[in-house]
Amino acid sequence: MVNTRSTYSLLALLLLLATAPLFAQQAEISPQRKQAIDSLALEKVRDLSKYISIIGNKKTAYSEATRVMDRAEELFAPGSEMGVSSLNRKEVNYYKVRKYFERLMALNYDRVSIQWYDIHYISDLERQPDGRYVGVVTVYQRFEGTNDDGMKYKDTTKKDITIYVERKKTQVSGRTIEFWDVMLGDIRVTETSA
Amino acid sequence: MRITSFVFFLILSSMSAHAQIVGDMDETKLYAESKQVNQFFRRFNGEEDEKGNRYYPGDKQYRNIKLRKKYLGILFNESNTGMPAVLKTEFVKNVLDKSETSVLDFHGGNWFSEVHTVFTANGKDQPVTLFMTLEKDHLGSKWVIQKVYADMFAPYFVRDTLKVGRFLHPMSHELDFMNLRKAFVQTDSVAQFASKKFVPDHLSLFLYEVKKGTLKFKTVTDVKFHFFQLDGWYFELANFNRPGYNTGWLISNLVKLKNPVEKDVLRKYLYYETK
Repeated sequence: MVNTRSTYSLLALLLLLATAPLFAQQAEISPQRKQAIDSLALEKVRDLSKYISIIGNKKTAYSEATRVMDRAEELFAPGSEMGVSSLNRKEVNYYKVRKYFERLMALNYDRVSIQWYDIHYISDLERQPDGRYVGVVTVYQRFEGTNDDGMKYKDTTKKDITIYVERKKTQVSGRTIEFWDVMLGDIRVTETSA
Repeated sequence: MRITSFVFFLILSSMSAHAQIVGDMDETKLYAESKQVNQFFRRFNGEEDEKGNRYYPGDKQYRNIKLRKKYLGILFNESNTGMPAVLKTEFVKNVLDKSETSVLDFHGGNWFSEVHTVFTANGKDQPVTLFMTLEKDHLGSKWVIQKVYADMFAPYFVRDTLKVGRFLHPMSHELDFMNLRKAFVQTDSVAQFASKKFVPDHLSLFLYEVKKGTLKFKTVTDVKFHFFQLDGWYFELANFNRPGYNTGWLISNLVKLKNPVEKDVLRKYLYYETK
């Protein structure tokens, strides 16, 4: 049910691999490379969106949901958290990513629908003291939970997702190849009035 | 300006190939929203198209004056009647007249964040305001706490400098300051023995209390930004999460600064400083 990685993502990765030697010595990220990184980041965000929809779906078997949670967790840097607030409550509640998924799975609705808006916004990349780059991708999610007695809850949440971009090395046929990898980090979840 | 802004919202929404209404999911408002502080910067500077795609130096539209004029029209909180239209018009004109120098620079300094947080101390919620600024470090940069203000610390520094009050007389040194014993008996008035020039430093106290384990972080309740980057102007940037098109990160306050003294007074006011 869950694809490992789409063709689009692979193309972006290949493009990053191909251009790696050109920028190996420089700290600045060129517009072309930024676009390739953005594609890879978006692909990871789309993977996460897909996983969230599966985890939240009441028809997903427990074993499948657990497997998808494992896959979703792999997208994140260790220690990543979700900071959640609502329109009525400004206070942010913090959950470890796994805990957030488990809460999503355990929601007490008979039917759950999770849709994602087409819109997304990708920030510039800024360099951290450790040399890694960090950016934020914003996406919007529509949630609808319905019970058999007709009770319905719906909300739209804005998700500001941290992305970490790091240059890594790998061995391919005895050759060391450098590439740029993207990991997801903390996510701020805000309920919107949309 | 209000009508012009609304028209631009509509253009911005309709120009996007992606903008659509699926069921009751209306994306047009989301396009109009300044979704990140980063997007506010780019729109202010005229560095992105209506879909949020970045323009780079060399692109025809990069920092284009017409584009900037359109964006500047939608970057104000239209609900704040305390920002007169005439002041906004003057600000926009000023920015566009000096278009090349009137750009916001993420690493340009002269802007900082005001972060409202809640800590708990002895089981009780305590509001603490952190003033954060960007600082260069090793290969990149990071946000650091520049100042702190907490109501819970303030009463300990209150003193009336107009009254004569309590003091250590000028010959105390001849007695090896033996009268210090009396000075410290009444802890409430101990601040009277500090120099007039003393400026309370809440950051030091805050770090001490956190390290000691007395203060424990609970949550962030609000974030806003203060900009002094543009010569002769100050503006505040805040997030507006509400229905409509005038949402996201918007200029929520605007002040024309006549001279450096005004700037200094305002900066001290923002930091809760009295001296």
